[in-house]
Amino acid sequence: MELFLMTLTTGIMVGGIYALVALGWVLIYKCSGVLNLAMGELTLFGAYTTLSFYMLGIPFILSILCTLIIGIILGILVERIFLDRLIGEPILAVIMVTVGLSFFFKGLIEFIWGTDTRVFTPAIFSLKPFTIGFLKISTVYFWSFVLAIVLFLIFVAFFKYTRWGLSMQATADDETAALSLGVSARFVYAASWAIAFMAAGVGGALLGNINGVNISVGYLGLLVLPAVVLGGLNSVPGAVVGGITIGVLQNFAGTYLDAFFPGGVKEIFPFAFMAIFLLFMPYGLWGWIKIERM
Amino acid sequence: MTKVWLPCGHYHENYAKDQGWWQTPVIKGKMILLLFIVFVVFPLTLSGYWLSVANMIGYTALGALGVQLLIGYAGLITLGHAAFIAVGAYTSTLLILKFPWPEFIVTLGLAYPISILVAAIVAGLWSVLFGLPCVRVKGFYLILTTMAAQFITVDFILTQYVSKIGGRGQAFSLPPGTIKIGPWVIDTDLRVYFLMITLLVLTVMLMANLLRTRVGRAWVAIRDNDIAAETLGISIVRYKLLNFFVAGFIGGIAGACWVANLAALSPEHFPWFWSLWLVGVILIGGAGIDGAIFGSIFMVMVMELLQMAAIPLSEYWPRILIFFAFIKDMAFGLAICAFLIYEPRGISYRWWQIKNYFNLWPFSY
Repeated sequence: MELFLMTLTTGIMVGGIYALVALGWVLIYKCSGVLNLAMGELTLFGAYTTLSFYMLGIPFILSILCTLIIGIILGILVERIFLDRLIGEPILAVIMVTVGLSFFFKGLIEFIWGTDTRVFTPAIFSLKPFTIGFLKISTVYFWSFVLAIVLFLIFVAFFKYTRWGLSMQATADDETAALSLGVSARFVYAASWAIAFMAAGVGGALLGNINGVNISVGYLGLLVLPAVVLGGLNSVPGAVVGGITIGVLQNFAGTYLDAFFPGGVKEIFPFAFMAIFLLFMPYGLWGWIKIERM
Repeated sequence: MTKVWLPCGHYHENYAKDQGWWQTPVIKGKMILLLFIVFVVFPLTLSGYWLSVANMIGYTALGALGVQLLIGYAGLITLGHAAFIAVGAYTSTLLILKFPWPEFIVTLGLAYPISILVAAIVAGLWSVLFGLPCVRVKGFYLILTTMAAQFITVDFILTQYVSKIGGRGQAFSLPPGTIKIGPWVIDTDLRVYFLMITLLVLTVMLMANLLRTRVGRAWVAIRDNDIAAETLGISIVRYKLLNFFVAGFIGGIAGACWVANLAALSPEHFPWFWSLWLVGVILIGGAGIDGAIFGSIFMVMVMELLQMAAIPLSEYWPRILIFFAFIKDMAFGLAICAFLIYEPRGISYRWWQIKNYFNLWPFSY
């Protein structure tokens, strides 16, 4: 029972980070219709940027702020240079441009930072777990979860209450109508990429705290795909539920299935789950069902 | 754009001629010349290094043909083709190393050819298994299921289970002399080249013939509009799964044939990177069978040239050789983006324009 609860809480905490990254993905999809396969590399980029700032002696929170700023700049640049020219192209072209970007970023990251695992030194969070009742929670997981949720709430509030956020929502809802009301679609696209870069960057920084930063953080960023499929591609609440569910499922698989299938079942389970889930509910829990006509 | 304009004075008088491969004497001569160059001139003139580059091109082209069949002819976008190539390679290796072959088959050197065929069929069936979701989903969701195929097959089943057969850790070593066709042991680059080019030509013939039958036309119809195709009486599920089978079959051939080039087989030969690379190849190459081949020639040659440029530069900056793999990634990513933005129809479109220009010369249309 204790093992069960521990696995559950760890899963929820990691899932919170996935949810944050998934939010960025869903925003891009909702606003500009781009299905982004470069999310893993964006997470990685955030992790390394934060690490570099932290190593310079800047406090962790400030390094995350710097990462956010770099995320904004990079997001706008990427959107302007690559994605802006592909509006209205077929889906394969847009997806493959994001794949090309992911290669480019992967090469760039390895070029700048090398392939060795790097750890945040001195450690930001103490190694001692703290206890609530009989539950032991690792400090890293707890504070990462808190930070992820806070940022998540900030993003959602931005989306809901500010003028820019509302114009993004309008574009997501109906692009033509939004254009006629004076919303600049190009601004919205750029903003959605900036937010996605920021969300992925912070997600990466938090994930990098757990096991150190190396290429496999990018793989964790890819887990956002099962999460958004589960929640539905264009649903913000779906991203939260999907992210947390994937985190929980992944940890349960690692704890319970590992005895039956030794090896990397923890890494692979979300994707296997996704493949089976797609057979039964291809549009996810809250995604819009597309009805096709001739 | 599949039709090339015929030169002045050539007409099709019946349907068979219209569908023919070699429609004019010039084209026939050109193709025979090409086959002559590929089968006779290249092996005689090329040195070992360039033969190994040619083998790489052949392997990439075999893989890319399968991807072209899925993406280019049936509109089923796949990002997991390396999984099926890996299944082909592993089936072939396991059959050669572990299967209790009767004595006469080993002495006649038939084990490897049989294993290629079996590997192709197994890879095809494996591909159908992961193609099953295409019954319900398409587009982006299909991309995700093929990605799942990649991770489940290569990173889990092959790495964790298949590689451990025999208890030798990660890789299967292939002792020299195990891969044998008839009396020839496939051990030099030249022999691998002949194996590769034979299989490539056979695969191209298979695909070209398949694409001008009812099956090929059904695939194109499904790609263009699947709902309309269904109303015309084409069973979408059956043809899509058939497409997955044939693509996996070709992938299996590619994998089994690549085994001949390797000293040891490990899952690291088939990363997700390789699936993406194959899709990049056909995007750069463009539509059609020639697109897949042009794309592989272009990509492999560009990477080789980059490497050749890197070696003299390393005198000034020694670390460039360490960084080369990363530069390769960046170059590949930028090449995909640049082609999609500036030349979305790929190299084969330019080739088509050049052919038309000469066929119609001196008129412009």
